Amino acid sequence: MAKMSVLKRSPGIAAAAVAATLTLGAGIAAAQLKSYDSSKPSFWQNAPPDWFLGDETEEMKGLAPPVGPATPTPLAELQDNLKKIKLPPGFRIEVYASGLQEPRQMAWGDNGTLFVGSFGAQNVYAVTEKDGKRNVTTILKGLNMPTGVAFRDGALYVVAIDKLLRYDQAESKLDAMPQPVVVYDDMPSYLPHGWKYLVMDREGAMYFNVGVPFNIGIPPTSTAHIRRVHQSGHGELIATGVRNSVGGDIDPRTGQFWFTENARDWMSDEIPSDKLNRIGRIGEHFGYPYCHQGDLPDPKFAMGRKCEEFTAPVLKLGAHVAPLGMKFYTGNQFPAEYRNNIFIAQHGSWNRRKYQGARIMRVVVDPDGKNAKQEVFAEGWLTGDQDYSGRPADVLVARDGSLLIADDWAGAIYRISYAR
Amino acid sequence: MRTLLAALAAVAACFAASPSSARDVEAGRARAEPCMACHGTEGITADPSIPSLAGQRERYLQWQLVFFRSGRRANEVMNALAAELSDEELRNISAYFASLPRANPPAGPPDPALRDKGKQVAARHRCASCHMDNYTGSQAAPSVAHQTRIYTDKALRDYRAAARPSVGVAAMNEAAGSLTDDDIAALAVYLEQPE
Repeated sequence: MAKMSVLKRSPGIAAAAVAATLTLGAGIAAAQLKSYDSSKPSFWQNAPPDWFLGDETEEMKGLAPPVGPATPTPLAELQDNLKKIKLPPGFRIEVYASGLQEPRQMAWGDNGTLFVGSFGAQNVYAVTEKDGKRNVTTILKGLNMPTGVAFRDGALYVVAIDKLLRYDQAESKLDAMPQPVVVYDDMPSYLPHGWKYLVMDREGAMYFNVGVPFNIGIPPTSTAHIRRVHQSGHGELIATGVRNSVGGDIDPRTGQFWFTENARDWMSDEIPSDKLNRIGRIGEHFGYPYCHQGDLPDPKFAMGRKCEEFTAPVLKLGAHVAPLGMKFYTGNQFPAEYRNNIFIAQHGSWNRRKYQGARIMRVVVDPDGKNAKQEVFAEGWLTGDQDYSGRPADVLVARDGSLLIADDWAGAIYRISYAR
Repeated sequence: MRTLLAALAAVAACFAASPSSARDVEAGRARAEPCMACHGTEGITADPSIPSLAGQRERYLQWQLVFFRSGRRANEVMNALAAELSDEELRNISAYFASLPRANPPAGPPDPALRDKGKQVAARHRCASCHMDNYTGSQAAPSVAHQTRIYTDKALRDYRAAARPSVGVAAMNEAAGSLTDDDIAALAVYLEQPE
């Protein structure tokens, strides 16, 4: 089906629609493009209902985020799909767990339980192993986009749109999770770009994103940044000018926080690039909305600012690749040259006529951000121009040094391992 | 005119070929027997308050059955029927209905003034950016053309009140959030026959 791309289809329909309009004599063309300008106060007095989606151009008309299958992909089909995944020599990929609705960030419990958040499914899952068999259970329900999870001191942390929750002694209470403690909730309730990724450092400080609730504009207060909240409850803006980040990790070499970032839509198929960023100095500004990809002033919102004022990315990852979860590789299973490399899950495009991404990338880079290079590590989840057999959302290193991948389109978790 | 028909035919062909996981149209037809009492033997309903399912986007059908099964979308009859469905049956039923030819516009010429108003509301709220210019949908949004005004009116009110969930990021709840009752009534008339 989706082999028939929107691009091939739309010129005919656009022409036909215009023809139909002229025939019917209606005043307003059916083929009107969307556009809005949030730089004026009058915009906020009557914000258009789709304000979060963004301006449309004739060139890219008709693109919208694709809806995935509503049920998790059956195991046999997953295994079929994995045969098409290309990996470097010596690596193999298999299904680790299947049947999860929209799995997102993953985190290990101390006793080997794998906790997994979800996107729209409102659930948090636990994957446990017993007698060599893996079980998936839904341990929490009814949460508001609980995408981010972390584990520390026996407690499961879950971050939903505007609540950071802690479930104490979670691993021993999987059958009947305790009432959560609300650790922090001073967050805006915007849904678009409001779903979060959760990172904890050794002291228990919690890092998460607060995205901008639209495509491009002057960010509302309390958005467009990475926040760090200490166990004491004290919060800091450690990175500002960040549009939408759903992945980050702490560099084991330096303790610095690195994060992926999704750039704006509706400029073109090729620009701007999504980013890999490093926080070298607390509170650094990474450019949004004034400057994209380190060197591209925004056509409407640069407002006289220069890109040199802001912190450029360590690496441009590509346009519309949707980099999400990322991890520094700290395992011992992969060859030595993979140590401290970064694995990034690319979720794949929606605002591009030919999708790209839907793969795992490997980034080699110095601790100070210099000499960054990337290469494809695992790819093959794109089918045709505008469809997927899977969309990676997160990566996680397992105790044995293998790499887990969460796929929220196919509803599965994969495991990549290496053998000489 | 021929271009328009060809374009519509091309789009219609797109429905039937929607990809999904492991679906069996024949098994879907068999399992969909209980559905036909309300949704019609060809997926085209006689009761104007019940939607036609013929030729609807396959993934949209899957998601609605998932929402009915879990109770996130509340409807006594559908909650009970969907509760019995396995994932595989749900996929097969969706594939079956998606493969059927779409319903024609409901009978009876629309009030031209109301229809025109609906067209303006749709343009102002940019419905076509997801539902496409002929409102037959895409892989991002379902077909909303040719449903009865009674059904469309209820659907929009339910989205506006967040009484039914939206797939993806609450898109329809937000998109319908600022519609007035008059907007909805006009849209419902327009979408019966937006061509």
